[in-house]
Amino acid sequence: MASPEGRSGSSRDQYIPPEDDDPGLFNGVNTRQIETFGRKVTATAGHLMGGPEGSFHNTLTDVHRELRRPLIQRSVFSFAQTTPRDLARSKFIPSEIQQRAISSLPDALLSNIPQDHNAYSLFQGFQATLPEDPESPKVRHGRHNSRGRKLLEGSREQLDDGQPISRLRNEKTSLSHRLEMLEVRKSMCATEIREIDNKISNLNTMRKIVLDRLAGLEQDEIELEHDLNDVDNRIEDMQEEMDDAAALAQKSPGSSAGGDMPTTSGEFMSQSIYQKLPETTPKPKKKRHVPRRVSTMILHEHLESGSKIKDMQAHNDLITALDFDAPFGTMVTASMDDTVRVWDLNAGRCMGMLEGHLSSVRCLQVEENIVATGSMDASIRLWDLSRADYAPMESGTSKDGNQDEDDGLVFENPEDEPPPPPPTSMQDCPLFSLEGHVAEVTALYLRGDMLVSGSSDKTLRQWDLVKGRCVQTLDVLWAAAQAATTMGSSEGQWRPTGRQSDSSADFVGALQCFDAALACGTADGIVRLWDLRSGQVHRSLVGHTGPITALQFDDVHMVTGSNDRSIRIWDLRTGSIFDAYAYDNPITGMAFDAKQIVSAAGEDVVKVYDKTDSRQWNCGPGVSETDVAGHLAVIEQVRIKEGYMVEGRRDGMVGVWSC
Amino acid sequence: MSTLPYAADAESPLKPEELQVLRAQYEKEGDYVGIQTKFNYAWGLIKSSSRPDQQEGVRLLSDIFRNSPERRRECLYYLALGNYKLGNYAEARRYNDLLIDLEPANLQAGSLKGLIDDKVAKEGLVGAAIVGGLAVAAGIVGSMLFKSARRR
Repeated sequence: MASPEGRSGSSRDQYIPPEDDDPGLFNGVNTRQIETFGRKVTATAGHLMGGPEGSFHNTLTDVHRELRRPLIQRSVFSFAQTTPRDLARSKFIPSEIQQRAISSLPDALLSNIPQDHNAYSLFQGFQATLPEDPESPKVRHGRHNSRGRKLLEGSREQLDDGQPISRLRNEKTSLSHRLEMLEVRKSMCATEIREIDNKISNLNTMRKIVLDRLAGLEQDEIELEHDLNDVDNRIEDMQEEMDDAAALAQKSPGSSAGGDMPTTSGEFMSQSIYQKLPETTPKPKKKRHVPRRVSTMILHEHLESGSKIKDMQAHNDLITALDFDAPFGTMVTASMDDTVRVWDLNAGRCMGMLEGHLSSVRCLQVEENIVATGSMDASIRLWDLSRADYAPMESGTSKDGNQDEDDGLVFENPEDEPPPPPPTSMQDCPLFSLEGHVAEVTALYLRGDMLVSGSSDKTLRQWDLVKGRCVQTLDVLWAAAQAATTMGSSEGQWRPTGRQSDSSADFVGALQCFDAALACGTADGIVRLWDLRSGQVHRSLVGHTGPITALQFDDVHMVTGSNDRSIRIWDLRTGSIFDAYAYDNPITGMAFDAKQIVSAAGEDVVKVYDKTDSRQWNCGPGVSETDVAGHLAVIEQVRIKEGYMVEGRRDGMVGVWSC
Repeated sequence: MSTLPYAADAESPLKPEELQVLRAQYEKEGDYVGIQTKFNYAWGLIKSSSRPDQQEGVRLLSDIFRNSPERRRECLYYLALGNYKLGNYAEARRYNDLLIDLEPANLQAGSLKGLIDDKVAKEGLVGAAIVGGLAVAAGIVGSMLFKSARRR
């Protein structure tokens, strides 16, 4: 509509002669009607005000002054600030009002405008972003031709014309402009990176807050579960008492009906009997069974991998075996000090000892509430932890924890160790014992109703846990010999490994079964796959050069660890090696979960192999305390479940880590 | 600040596909949109010739102003420019005057001030003229009616 140049001096002179303006105006009506209309009005106004010799400018200012003066007009139009159209919009059209409410800024914000120190302005950023598409081919073009252009320049220098110089100058400016733009783009990237860093740090703090919240929630969950368990037990007790009272009440009417006693005394009688009840009737021993966890703990999955969750001085001697049922659940450890201890991983407390073996336990497994232990005394024992008498939350809540600390102070126990569990806490746990092996049991695997064990008597036995009997005995040496005769090759044949120093190694180092498939790793370094239905070896995995000490398989892969210092990953479908890697020392323990393979390889750290990104890293006490590396005990055993790793060391310490 | 565009720059709309590129970038970054991307889109919108686009642009700019103090001074100018284009001269003047207070030597802000004054003066006069014209017309009509009524 009205463009700025409409006010320039030339047009003013053209249209409005100082004295008589009407004829000129009529010429302009055709083209710029409104503008001229406005001018006409102002000019007329100026005319009316009687400034005959004044220029248009004067009349205009006069008009302005005149328009500004009356209070009414000012309040209606606010001419000093804005135009009537704007005013009408801002007052009468709802969508406009809304838009203004959103986009208008309060004065408080406007008063706070810091000096800017930005490397580039937003407009530069805009310029650098927008013309990317048309410019990019040019850039490429330039790059392609740069050498050729230089040659041309060389030839032109000889000509020494004026024209190429100007062209070169143009080119120089365009190049320097492009350089500038690149600089801007660079600083844009830098700024963006800084912004992202800020956001990441913000998100990290938020993550930490949420993690704390999660930890709190899990603690609450445990407490609630404990309360629930308490209430359950009380309901049970109450039920029992009511049953007993009902039984007594059935008897009592006969005796009380004989006398003419008032009802109150009868009540008193029954009350007294009621009160005597616990003493008189031999009450069945209260079973305060440790409940199975209803809730699953997920906190460790969100901790930074490699961070320590707990440390426990579980034993005073080398840990020979350990296993746990679930993260923050129950752990059982066995040591050379001939004890087997049960631990509450959440509280870090010892729940009790499993006593019965005549010698130290060499292997064990925890499956739900059932624990199977295989010992040097050639027996296997089974235990039911749900019969244990243990109140899990005695020191779980913070209040009780404080009390424990107080107790510790009273008893001058600076290490703040929880009080030892009552010796009777596990007395109901033993289920039965499986006798049959004639030498120490070195490996066992429990699954459902079936248990398979391997012993130094060079046999494997399969047990039926329902009947409590051995259902099959597999002779490893016989199978090896048979394999040698039928196949006619040395493969699968028993052969002592090249390292005779390993004669101390267990004959059966590890085994695992699934349904009718059994895998066992033996001292000759061969992994044999058995079919339990036929009792035959149907495949041998040859590769290790030292006794196998650890073995675990899932549906696709089998991972074995050996005294030959290597970890081998086998593809079960083809029977071939899938991957292998070695450490500095013999492998004493190995386990894997969905993400990583953890190995105890004679060091003070657990070797972790991340399966997803093939990364090797260390986790354990030796990682952070490099300066005192010599003082830390070597890790002997390791287990991992769902990123929750437990390791047992030579000095009897057990560490819990998040992996 | 020599790196501000003049008001004339805001009058040349981008090509639709160019604006679409900016919009796509803005939408792609979602909640974590960077300032530059936001500004690019906002400036593209303000350059557009459709009024809703311009309004959206001004809204985005005020967002930037709120959220990133280090860009406030620049944003002030774009807010003024956007509001000027929208015809919200009061707001435009408010922001622009503030910017001139902060940076008296800012050429772009100075020229924008001139433009705003101009527009206000012109449109104001037109408005006054229209009101005046209406009054005159009403007077004439009224007097004619009055006369005709009287004649009868």
